[in-house]
Amino acid sequence: MIAAKVRPARSRGGYRAGRVSLGWIATFCLPALVLYGMFVVVPLVTAFSYGLFRWEGIRPAEFAGLGNYQEVLTRYPLNEEIPAALWHNLLFFAGTMAIQNTVGLGLAVLLYRNPRGKRLFQTVFSLPYLISPLIVGYIWSLLLSPTFGPINFLLRTAGLDAWARPWLGDPDTALPVLILVNAWQWIGGPMLIFLAALGGIPRELEEAAAMDGASKFRAFWSVRFPLLMPAVGVITVLTFIGCFNLFDLVYALGGSDGGPSGAMDVLGLLYYRTAFEGGTNSIGESSALAIMIFVVVFGVSVALERFLRRREVRM
Amino acid sequence: MSRTRRGLFAAIGALAMTLSACAPSAPEDQAGPGAASGPITLDVWGWRQEDAAAYQKIFKIYEDAHPGVKVKYVPYKADEYDTILRTGLSDANGPDVAQLRSYGLLQPLVAAKSLVPLDDQVKELSGFPEPVLDGARGESDKRVYGVPFAIQSLHVIYNKKLFAKHGVNPPKTWDEMTAAFDKLAAADLTPLATTITDTWMLPIQQEIFGATSYGGYDYLEKMRTGAAKFTDRPWVESLTKWKSTSKYWPRQFEGVSYVDAQALFTSEQAAMFPGGIWELAVFGKSNPDLELGIFNVPPPEGAATAKTLVPGYVDGSFGVAAKSPHQSQAMDLVRWMASPEFGQAFSTELRQISAVPGVTPQDPLLAQALAAYQADPSPYVTYAYFSGGTPTAWDLASEALSTFVTGRSGAEDAAKHIQQGVDQWFKPTQ
Amino acid sequence: MSRPESGGRVPGFAAHALLWCYAALAVGPLILVVIGSFRSNADILRQPVGLPDSLGFDNYLRAWQTASISTYFANSIMVTVAAVALCVAVSAMAAYALSRWRFRGRALLAAFFLSGLMIPAKLGLLPVFYMFQSMGLIDTRPGLVLLYAAGGVPFSIFVIMGFVRGLPTELEEAARLDGANEGRLFVSVALPLMRPALAVVTVFQFAPTWNDFFYPLVLMRSDSKYTVPVGLTRFFGEFATDRATLFAGLVIAIAPLVLVFALATKQIIAGLTAGMSR
Repeated sequence: MIAAKVRPARSRGGYRAGRVSLGWIATFCLPALVLYGMFVVVPLVTAFSYGLFRWEGIRPAEFAGLGNYQEVLTRYPLNEEIPAALWHNLLFFAGTMAIQNTVGLGLAVLLYRNPRGKRLFQTVFSLPYLISPLIVGYIWSLLLSPTFGPINFLLRTAGLDAWARPWLGDPDTALPVLILVNAWQWIGGPMLIFLAALGGIPRELEEAAAMDGASKFRAFWSVRFPLLMPAVGVITVLTFIGCFNLFDLVYALGGSDGGPSGAMDVLGLLYYRTAFEGGTNSIGESSALAIMIFVVVFGVSVALERFLRRREVRM
Repeated sequence: MSRTRRGLFAAIGALAMTLSACAPSAPEDQAGPGAASGPITLDVWGWRQEDAAAYQKIFKIYEDAHPGVKVKYVPYKADEYDTILRTGLSDANGPDVAQLRSYGLLQPLVAAKSLVPLDDQVKELSGFPEPVLDGARGESDKRVYGVPFAIQSLHVIYNKKLFAKHGVNPPKTWDEMTAAFDKLAAADLTPLATTITDTWMLPIQQEIFGATSYGGYDYLEKMRTGAAKFTDRPWVESLTKWKSTSKYWPRQFEGVSYVDAQALFTSEQAAMFPGGIWELAVFGKSNPDLELGIFNVPPPEGAATAKTLVPGYVDGSFGVAAKSPHQSQAMDLVRWMASPEFGQAFSTELRQISAVPGVTPQDPLLAQALAAYQADPSPYVTYAYFSGGTPTAWDLASEALSTFVTGRSGAEDAAKHIQQGVDQWFKPTQ
Repeated sequence: MSRPESGGRVPGFAAHALLWCYAALAVGPLILVVIGSFRSNADILRQPVGLPDSLGFDNYLRAWQTASISTYFANSIMVTVAAVALCVAVSAMAAYALSRWRFRGRALLAAFFLSGLMIPAKLGLLPVFYMFQSMGLIDTRPGLVLLYAAGGVPFSIFVIMGFVRGLPTELEEAARLDGANEGRLFVSVALPLMRPALAVVTVFQFAPTWNDFFYPLVLMRSDSKYTVPVGLTRFFGEFATDRATLFAGLVIAIAPLVLVFALATKQIIAGLTAGMSR
């Protein structure tokens, strides 16, 4: 599958690879390929084949073709839950981009300009990332509880009774709260990546702009931000994928039904319910659903990646 | 792009060749380690992590009477237990005896032929009442696959000291009940510690407050023959009546979880907790000073029955794994689980109602609950009876009632959600 | 010549105030848990925010005695370290080859690896279970290691490739002219340059692997092979209504990880920042 012929590179850096033998290519690529193929791809393909059968418990009973796909897409209430969950995933993605990644950028810029105590802050901001999403969800659901939660307690003590809401129980606030808690946990990621990217930008560039009389703000937007675009691209794609794999946290905050009135229902939960709380044919149906989710996420990620890379080149 | 993708599929295809090795297949039967000599260990899987110590104590009785057999209770996290059990039963290293969920949740295991039917192996089962055995029956072949272990009845559990302090008695009529609620609310207590965010508790509370509105078993019979529906007046009314008590629920009840509700009750900030009889053990453990009482909700005006119904259902059963290398020993153990000796120990150690006929709980509250349930039983309709297909009424009800109590839909819409889902597979009996 | 940074838009003290505010937000909830672990359950229910009456370790004692946490810890460390090391090693090699060498099928192979980023996490659970069953990997730690290592490959390759592409090639070319073969080149020239990327990957793989509870829950059978998160799920079940003890358990579970990382991230971040700005 992998041809031995090594062509001279036409890379931007003008790097010319020497002739690299097939042996070396195999030595370098095969371990990862075997590992990944065996334990990630084969199960996925197997799941695809599972989706083509009607199951009785853990026994494939008969070949069903696309029957499971049809079942999943047409059966009430799944046929209404799938678009709703997809929409929640998209909202979650938009919210995370808007909050987690901009705050992450803000913190990175602040730290870059005020390096005193930088390491301490970096460690502290990244701390929540170390904790299992299940524990994070548990801690926050206690904090946000309307009866015993310190947050509403503090709000009431401060005389802000109207602000004390049943955060995770109100269909209007559940999803925004989910986005915030998730951002709280993961903010260290974008911050570190932005910080590293900022460090990689030659200081002279901005100074040149400043000398031309550009304001600090303009200097940032016109000089530094474009150079951050590769980092923005990486973060966007990673955020997108992370958002569509969302499961543990929302499960811990809202249970497998997706919170009040399904306000936090996302594709990951839908898959979980079909696979682990489903009926006799749950293996067939959940595999079909998983393949559909995979196709959507995969397609959009590839498109997103290409789009961002094109923009990057243009800028 | 298209080239890349085609190539990708080709690559995946190549890997698919190795797939045959991983299709589910029967593992080679390992020679049972206990076949030769030495004590054998029977693994009993279950989902009650909090009961592990008590089960060990109960099984000690069996071990003492059966030298050479050790019984080990292996509990898993309740949420993932069903999946773990499904996979575990396909493997000789899995359980020998397994705690099984009841009704619809049991069916995938039956369909997979992972369990041994017990009707002709365990004679003791003939003494169990039919409705109790329903909880352990295969939908397709009507055979019994487990020995039911517990009956859960549903009540309003109340704090006796708080009731006495505020001059309130267990109510005999609906109006008496709301008057009592008002009195407690005026004393700055939360009358009812209701669970809202854990949606599995919603259908339970709907049965507690709504059973009399639709009429229990009589209505269920009509539903099973197709003469009545969830969307008909009496059942919709059961939702409305239940929600009419919402002014007695905790402040901002939309955000109150199961654990919150339990804590409200055990810390004596709430006077009552609507829930299952299994809570007695939980409450007793977290606040031993509580004095507990139970009552059931009297019929409101316009109810379908004048009786004060007590909803209840079979919690689960113990079955024998078809792949177990120690099947005859496992069968002996399960037979013992159908005996009064086990039933009595179970009831005493776990403070629950044993499903074994003739076992009277020592605990007076449990005895009261059992007597009340036997006098005026009512089914847990969505969990026990419309659960043989997908989607189950229980899943539908959990979703619909969450939408209903958070004010996002009316009672009719909630009922319609359940009916529409069930209609896709439910066939009325003629 | 670079000027001092004092000319920034946000004055230094205001910036630091903002940073401290966010720091409080980041650790506040964790501090509440730590404080809660020293209070009594009844006290927590009466007064959600408050200080402990006295500094007692009853909750910790109870938490420690109930769960065999030390065994779980040993398992978690073994599995996580082995999985992350394996993952980073194979990914570094593959990513290097994919970004430095041009060969037919390269783009395809890269796409093949990266597509793994987009696989919903629990999708493969049942197939994995049957595969493990046929290979005798159920209830074995090496099985978990292979699974986690494989799962981390796409992300690691993604990050390392991005990094290697941005590295200057002169050093390697010089070494090549000196007659070094590809293996030597990779080990003695490229690998040291890749250190920051490897550090980042290690950090980002370590925590999710450490925290995962789903695979061990389904694939492990014996108590002696459980990892910390599985132990925790039992703990949750048992102490659902006893918040004080639960908090103590959470602190026991979280603290060592935080400690190790607080020490290690210093090195890691230093390496990361230095590497990127070079």
